[in-house]
Amino acid sequence: MPTLPDGSIRAEHVWKKFRADKTTPELRSHLLRLRNSRSEGNRRQYRWVLKDINLDIEPGGTVGLIGSNGSGKTTLLQILSQVTYQTAGARTVQGRIGALLSVTSGLHPELSGRENVFLFGAVLGMSRAHVRKSFDEIVEFAELEDAIERQVKHYSSGMTVRLGFSIAAHLEPDILIVDEALSVGDSNFQQKCLGRIDKIVRSGTTLLFVSHDLAQVETTCERAAWLSDGVMRASGSTKDVLAVYRAAIQKEAGTMASKEGTVSVLKAEIEATDGGPLRTGCEFDVRLVLDAPKTENVRFLIGISIGTSFPIFVVDRQSTMPAGVFEIHCRLADLPLPRGHYSVWAGITGFPEGRRDPLLAWQPLTSFDATGPERIRPPQGIMVRTPIVVGATWQVG
Amino acid sequence: MQVQVPDGGAESSSSDAVPLLITDLSAIPAEPADDILFRHKAGLIKSARLVWEHREIIHSLAERDFRAQYKQTALGFLWAVLTPVATLLVLVLVFSRIHSIHTQGVPYALYAFVGILCWSFFATALAQGGTSLLNNKALLSKTQFPRECFPLESMVVNGVNTTFSVVPLALLFVFFGRAPTIATLWVPLFVLIEIVFATGVTLGVAGLIIQARDLTMVLPLVISLGIFLTPVIWPFTLIPTHFHVAGGHLVTGGHLVRGVAEGHHWIGGIYVNLQVVYGFINPIGPVISSVRETMLLGHAPSWPPLIAAAVGSILYLIFGYKLFKRFEVEFADIA
Repeated sequence: MPTLPDGSIRAEHVWKKFRADKTTPELRSHLLRLRNSRSEGNRRQYRWVLKDINLDIEPGGTVGLIGSNGSGKTTLLQILSQVTYQTAGARTVQGRIGALLSVTSGLHPELSGRENVFLFGAVLGMSRAHVRKSFDEIVEFAELEDAIERQVKHYSSGMTVRLGFSIAAHLEPDILIVDEALSVGDSNFQQKCLGRIDKIVRSGTTLLFVSHDLAQVETTCERAAWLSDGVMRASGSTKDVLAVYRAAIQKEAGTMASKEGTVSVLKAEIEATDGGPLRTGCEFDVRLVLDAPKTENVRFLIGISIGTSFPIFVVDRQSTMPAGVFEIHCRLADLPLPRGHYSVWAGITGFPEGRRDPLLAWQPLTSFDATGPERIRPPQGIMVRTPIVVGATWQVG
Repeated sequence: MQVQVPDGGAESSSSDAVPLLITDLSAIPAEPADDILFRHKAGLIKSARLVWEHREIIHSLAERDFRAQYKQTALGFLWAVLTPVATLLVLVLVFSRIHSIHTQGVPYALYAFVGILCWSFFATALAQGGTSLLNNKALLSKTQFPRECFPLESMVVNGVNTTFSVVPLALLFVFFGRAPTIATLWVPLFVLIEIVFATGVTLGVAGLIIQARDLTMVLPLVISLGIFLTPVIWPFTLIPTHFHVAGGHLVTGGHLVRGVAEGHHWIGGIYVNLQVVYGFINPIGPVISSVRETMLLGHAPSWPPLIAAAVGSILYLIFGYKLFKRFEVEFADIA
């Protein structure tokens, strides 16, 4: 095989299996297996977490790896950075790898910040001379000039993360592999990290980047690959892959039927009215297809939350719910949210509510990514709880 | 059959449009073909060289453990010396009254301390190094440097700590008004044999323990029994050099034959030097005995068991390292 240039990553037909999680002690399960059947029991239980993965990244390429939790992204990164080994297939990586799989696991809580810079630097593959040379820069980047002699266990979690990242950010690898390391710290520091990564990439370093923040992938990576259940579902330009991914996610969320309450959800969708991406300030529509057992006076509620926490805002409507399958269409005049990942919630209660159980329990139905400006940071020590008024027109039936 | 590989991925580095590739899920086989199964090939020499290239990491990890050990203590690094001295005081109190063991005129406390020093290096190496992969789980699944660094690092820490025990050893010599003999110059050789042996066992156990977690329970038992099975508080010369084996029975011609000096009767059959056999299986025995013979008594070491120990320890190292390399593939997954 011809040698690839420095900074290349190539995975060919990579497979990885994990032993199934053991619930019984080894000896007992061995004995049970002996008793049950010799022929089929000889084989260990396992499952495939990666199936036939092909990936080819040229030097200087930037690739974002997306997919839901448990889809095998981290395992793939571990194999590419040779933290673990593939079960089958070939992995070729040329050049020095900087694998940033966790920003804090290399830090020792008992040691001071200074001692940790040297420790984590070494663990990540920096020479001591290199760490010594970039020490001041690392501390300055982490904004920890005053705390560097303090033990890391007395750091706040934000400080710990800043220290970890800024050590890692001063690696000078041919290939930088980053696993969700950026989803930590406050948004100001995240911005700084993104800037730093941008700088590293501009210097010609290959980047392989895992994130749940699709907007982040969009701004950082030229190419993307989508992993689902251990299979590489799609790869190509970031724009194309994200479009395919979003379409699939919405389809999946739509088929998610609720078990609680008496009304079932057949479909849940959110989209910008003009068909473009969901973005700050755009008019958007939430569409629900529901199945109700009988006609009733009810109150419909729809809300938007960050992640799965409490909603940022809720809109409601009292109406008569028809029996059978029907559609709710709610148009909201303005998406008042900054860039980020949000969930759409819905619930139905009887009206008047009384002491009855809800007809549809309050639950997240689908999620979406909004593009737009960054969230504005308030002065230090101030928490923002912005009340939002959203104009809404409803159609029920 | 699977994902279409981007045509000429290497060429598309410029702003050419990247084609969108959608995988045909039905084309993915249930299992990979046998001919692409991954085989882990890691030659011992090549691996050892790689470890040497990563020696700075061992240095940094050892420094981490050493510093963390004494953090927030009032006396700090002083404890590295105080701990062995305190242990010694206890030993002297316990052993100063023992006269029944034949030590060829050496004070028993000194005699025993040498044994304990050699033993505790090995025991600590095994206890700490053997579980080092488990203790560094967080790093194991996030970093890529050679896995040998973890057990080796804990051996380095242990080595440094043991070195501080030279202070109480010196105190003992002063206390009894003796001096180490010139034959002490042999000692580094014995230390080397012990290090080779300890490294082999530690690597093997460290690798094995990931697969067989039960070993974490067995290890302390083995260590606490081992101190009695090793000539730590008794002399190595209790083991017979001329053990008579005949007709499938073990016949002791006059029980334990203590050395050649006491004379023995040739009754036919085969005589086995059990000291050599013992040294091969447990190289620490001859090591302790040799340190006593040279440093305390000023003799030359007894070569046959020592050579057996040297050969044995090298075999332990090769076998232990092989074991480690064999299980290495799964470390990050199941640790």
